[in-house]
Amino acid sequence: MRPPTALASDKELSDFLKSVEKRAFKRTVYAVRSDDSALDIVQDAMIRLAEKYADRPAAELPLIFQRILSNATMDWFRREKVRNALMTNLSEFESSEPDGDFDLLEMLQAVEGSLGTESAADAVSRAQILHLIDEQVAELPARQREAFLLRYWEEFDVAETAAVMGCSQGSVKTHCSRAVHALSKSLRAKGIGP
Amino acid sequence: MRAISHTSENHALEARLGLRLAGGLTARAECLPHDVTERLRFAREQALARAREARLASPDGAAVVGMSGAGGLLLGSLSPWLQRAASVLPLLVLLGGLMLIEQWSTRERVLAAAEIDTLLLVDALPPTAYSDPGFAEFLRSEPQP
Repeated sequence: MRPPTALASDKELSDFLKSVEKRAFKRTVYAVRSDDSALDIVQDAMIRLAEKYADRPAAELPLIFQRILSNATMDWFRREKVRNALMTNLSEFESSEPDGDFDLLEMLQAVEGSLGTESAADAVSRAQILHLIDEQVAELPARQREAFLLRYWEEFDVAETAAVMGCSQGSVKTHCSRAVHALSKSLRAKGIGP
Repeated sequence: MRAISHTSENHALEARLGLRLAGGLTARAECLPHDVTERLRFAREQALARAREARLASPDGAAVVGMSGAGGLLLGSLSPWLQRAASVLPLLVLLGGLMLIEQWSTRERVLAAAEIDTLLLVDALPPTAYSDPGFAEFLRSEPQP
């Protein structure tokens, strides 16, 4: 058995990149809204990881990669000279408050009911719901989306998410809570849920 | 007390819904277009090639390579200077081998010529040889005892 501090082998690095590449691509597409740019950014992040951190323990790779990907995305925004647009996006989410009247349990039951079905007709409905979720995640404010994706898609804990985002753990919790409420609200507006 | 419990339940509910929605994203991500998955595969292979280059270029690279084989433990435990010297060893062996082959080949040529000379000297001289101007010249030039 390998000790937890053992260096990542070629296979471990390959397996890690393979496991994370699709999510990394989607996460970047949400941010930059361009498939080609997202692919360039993901490739850049992979190469940065391989060149500078391939000798790190395999267990450290997920956190390092997500930080590199965030930095590569920021670099892209700088290069594209859309920093002002980004700052506008960053300021958007600070004003929204979670809707206290919202019943998350009902939405959870509705989503679980819709995504857990298996008939042909339900499969179409399921695909539509997945498409809607994809759309609504893309519409989230940048920081809320980043917190949501890192916390629930990459399944980082609050501390790890805060480390990647460069903010406090309290901010992560707030961003995540707002993101889930915002998604729940927008999905309900699209006809999903009670 | 009840308020704390309610907040805790709410957080748990948020987390469950968040994970369920993220599960939906995973299902979507599995259906990416072929050209995108191919570009991601290419990016991954590029990154792995760079990782290999970086490992070989690093000072510890030689030791890591040395450790990978069954007999590599010995090489990995040597000092960097000895490891560099060991890398020249195959070249020295090759040069030594070439020199031995050259020496053996020259010796074979000399032995073959000596054998021909011996056969000629012990063979009976044909009478027509005395009419050959070259042989007559050879007899005249032979040193007298």
